[in-house]
Amino acid sequence: MNSESDLILKVDNLQTQFHLSRRVVKAVNGVSFQMKRGRTLGVVGESGCGKSVTAHSIVQLLPKMGRIVDGSITYYSSNGAVELSKLKRNGSEMRAIRGKEIGMIFQDPMASLNPVFTIGHQIAENITQHEKISRAAAMERAVEMLTMLGIPQASTRIKDYPHQFSGGMKQRAMIALAMVCNPKLLIADEPTTALDVTIQAQILELMKEMQHKYGTSIILITHNMGIVADMADDIAVMYMGRIVEFGTVRQVLGSPRHPYTRALLQSVPVLGIAKGERLKTIRGSTPDPSDMPEGCEFAPRCDFATKQCKTVPADTDLGGGHRVRCWNCMGGLTT
Amino acid sequence: MLKYFTFRFLSIIPMLFVVTIIIFIGLQLTPGDPLTYLIPPELLASANFDLASYKKAMGLDAPLYVQFFRWFSGMLQGKLGYSLVDGTSIATMLGHRLPATLELAAAALIISSVLGIVLGLISSVRQNSAADYGNTVIGIIGISIPEFFLGIIAIQIFSIKLGWLPVGGRLDYGESGFLSLLKHVAMPALVLGFSLTAALMRYTRGTMLDVLGKDYVKTARSKGLPEWKVIVKHAFRNALMPVILLLCFRLPMLIGGTVIIESVFGWPGMGGMLLNAVSAKDYPVVMIATMLTAFMVLLASFLVDLLTALLDPRVRFD
Amino acid sequence: MVTKAVKSSLALRNWEKLRRNKLAMIGFCIVAFMILCAVCAPLLTPYSPTDIDLGSRIKPPSLSHPLGTDKLGRDVLSRLLYGARVSILIGLSGALGGAVIGTIIGCISGYFGGWFDKVMLRVSEIFMTFPQIILVLILVVYFGQGLMNLIFIFSISGWPGTYRLVRGKFFSLREENYVEACRAYGIGELSIMFRHILPNTFSPVIVTVTLSTAGYILAESGLSFLGLGVPSGIPTWGNIINSAKAIDVISNNPWLWLPPGLAISLFVLGVNFFGDGLRDVLDPNQ
Repeated sequence: MNSESDLILKVDNLQTQFHLSRRVVKAVNGVSFQMKRGRTLGVVGESGCGKSVTAHSIVQLLPKMGRIVDGSITYYSSNGAVELSKLKRNGSEMRAIRGKEIGMIFQDPMASLNPVFTIGHQIAENITQHEKISRAAAMERAVEMLTMLGIPQASTRIKDYPHQFSGGMKQRAMIALAMVCNPKLLIADEPTTALDVTIQAQILELMKEMQHKYGTSIILITHNMGIVADMADDIAVMYMGRIVEFGTVRQVLGSPRHPYTRALLQSVPVLGIAKGERLKTIRGSTPDPSDMPEGCEFAPRCDFATKQCKTVPADTDLGGGHRVRCWNCMGGLTT
Repeated sequence: MLKYFTFRFLSIIPMLFVVTIIIFIGLQLTPGDPLTYLIPPELLASANFDLASYKKAMGLDAPLYVQFFRWFSGMLQGKLGYSLVDGTSIATMLGHRLPATLELAAAALIISSVLGIVLGLISSVRQNSAADYGNTVIGIIGISIPEFFLGIIAIQIFSIKLGWLPVGGRLDYGESGFLSLLKHVAMPALVLGFSLTAALMRYTRGTMLDVLGKDYVKTARSKGLPEWKVIVKHAFRNALMPVILLLCFRLPMLIGGTVIIESVFGWPGMGGMLLNAVSAKDYPVVMIATMLTAFMVLLASFLVDLLTALLDPRVRFD
Repeated sequence: MVTKAVKSSLALRNWEKLRRNKLAMIGFCIVAFMILCAVCAPLLTPYSPTDIDLGSRIKPPSLSHPLGTDKLGRDVLSRLLYGARVSILIGLSGALGGAVIGTIIGCISGYFGGWFDKVMLRVSEIFMTFPQIILVLILVVYFGQGLMNLIFIFSISGWPGTYRLVRGKFFSLREENYVEACRAYGIGELSIMFRHILPNTFSPVIVTVTLSTAGYILAESGLSFLGLGVPSGIPTWGNIINSAKAIDVISNNPWLWLPPGLAISLFVLGVNFFGDGLRDVLDPNQ
């Protein structure tokens, strides 16, 4: 179906666990997906569904007690395929990929810039780490990048410290930091959640622009269905450490097959919703990740659960890359 | 930057002034004639000395506030008065004693900040390792053991049993050179700084663990920086500020501790002088020594302030 | 009745939390055991701590004197046990005295603010500039040595810590909604201050008292070691070590200084463990 050269990332049966003092939390439980170059993959789901952990597993930036126990993550660089999950966590090979090949943006721009270094220093540091370049030249590139991202008088603002920047400007600086080495893949973990709505749109627009310019692939993690619909080419819906539905935007949003995807879509307010019509909520709450229900994790909250749901549903290919993990997806689910 | 420094410096001047006023009042409250200490002992001893006429001549019968300013300007010129006990000039006494105490306190400060911060750093990076548990035990002992008890044990082990270090004193007669100085100062300074080392270690560990969980540390790692650079440059720079604040807060304790440590190790500093003066009720010596201690604390905390401002742009730009 | 039940269940819950903290419980056991020994001193040793027996001077530990005797033939064990009473009493009273003074000034300063607050803040800063031991030395010069004097001196040199704590708490609480509500209901200022805001400061103050008790026991032993604490006739842990200052005693008669030193360290260790645990339970955001 895909020629290998088209792919940038392949995740196969990824399992990431957190080993706490007394219990083990299976944060990511057998996640598989492939990403093509230049596309945007939106990963959606409630908080705690494992979307962030999946992203952090790719670059091995997990907290100390988290570790990848099974599965593989293959990154296709220009020099061939690299098995990321086999690399040492902070070894030189992994570090050569971080920042250079794969850039990251985090949720809270206020917290993700170091308060004691200038913005320019922090951006330039990414360049000097990966390229043999003078400090002044690196600063020059940082200024260019910030100017491109719409920061006025970038050559003077670059000497500012993070506390002198507004929230939106900090996130622009973070994008500059992540993009300055022209990475092939950008992982954005809830990049706009902490920002005002008006700023959110600007930041997303900038990310699109950068993608067009550099042909970057983006993994966009969010819980906001509207943002995915706007930004993504493909969507992965995650629930309790598994991808429950995967497909193109058209497939997943146009004809959602998993009850959880449907429930998520129905819980989003849409302009022009009929008067008197109520937003649906998903009943119950997510189960305790260290004490998961047997079989399908969503079954206890699902309106369509049957006896069959006591066993873990298989990944069903609906054709055209649309995959669903549900026993009832073929039948006519009607609400 | 310069404005900030000037502001900080100017703001300790009123404190210094208030301290001198308190000391002056304290001296006025001393039993007996509080002014005798200002009279040179040769004069006091001479046969034809008349206290009343001398006071009049020196203006010691002037109103209190006039006396205060005279006393204050005299102090600025180094006229600190004379001991009530043996008539030695207090300035001379201090000239002998102050350098010894400064040497001891500075050595303790340097040893304990370096040791405490480095050990705390190791503990935080290797959390729950054997080294971490070892440090925790040292930390607990450090805050619980009385300094003099630790000093006695140290003398017992390193001087008497092993014979590695001298029992006490600063420098023996005829001895000189950096090595013998080091030999004498090492044990008292370590003991004096032990509780500070423990406190700094515990605190550094705590703040570092806190900082290592911050997003900007993740950002640093996401750039592919080597781990030592992430820890030393990005995490430690941020953890250092609260640690320095703790250091500032603990300074009076360190300087006060010299009194006990000097007594244990026979260190010829201000502590011993103060102690003798207290037992002999030599009020002027007590008060002047106290004033100097307060000055030392104020000055040291000013220096710490400067250091914080150098490290933290948020303080500098406020 | 209802509030009482709620209160006791809160105390119970805190106690449960504390019990799960291993170090705090170890500390609690050490402290409880040592206090018990001090209280039961007459049952544990037949000797009086002050009886001089010149016939048996500087005797090493034996069956009749488990910890030996000192220069004047007094039994070290009984001096240790009776000394614990005085040392703990001084530490605890000093800490409580400082806490009471600090709380009262802190209340007034924090509730009313204004010039009183400004002045007291400066005063506390000046107090904190002088090393506590120096402060104590000055006060010893002016007031003389003595048990009550020492407690008094600890109290007035130790108030700034509690003062700042209570003041800070008042500042943050006096703008809270429930205080506004009290005012709206016409409840008097004094009643708001003492019945509605003050109880909120108890948790951190209790923690401070615990930890500063440890500090004062160390301070007392240090001062007594220097010969400036409690008059040497009264046995305290510091006074016992004071008599062992000479270099030949240190190397030849370890039973004179090792047991009291260990007793101080162990007790202070216990109090610190317990205090740390108490802080985690009562005042988690500190």
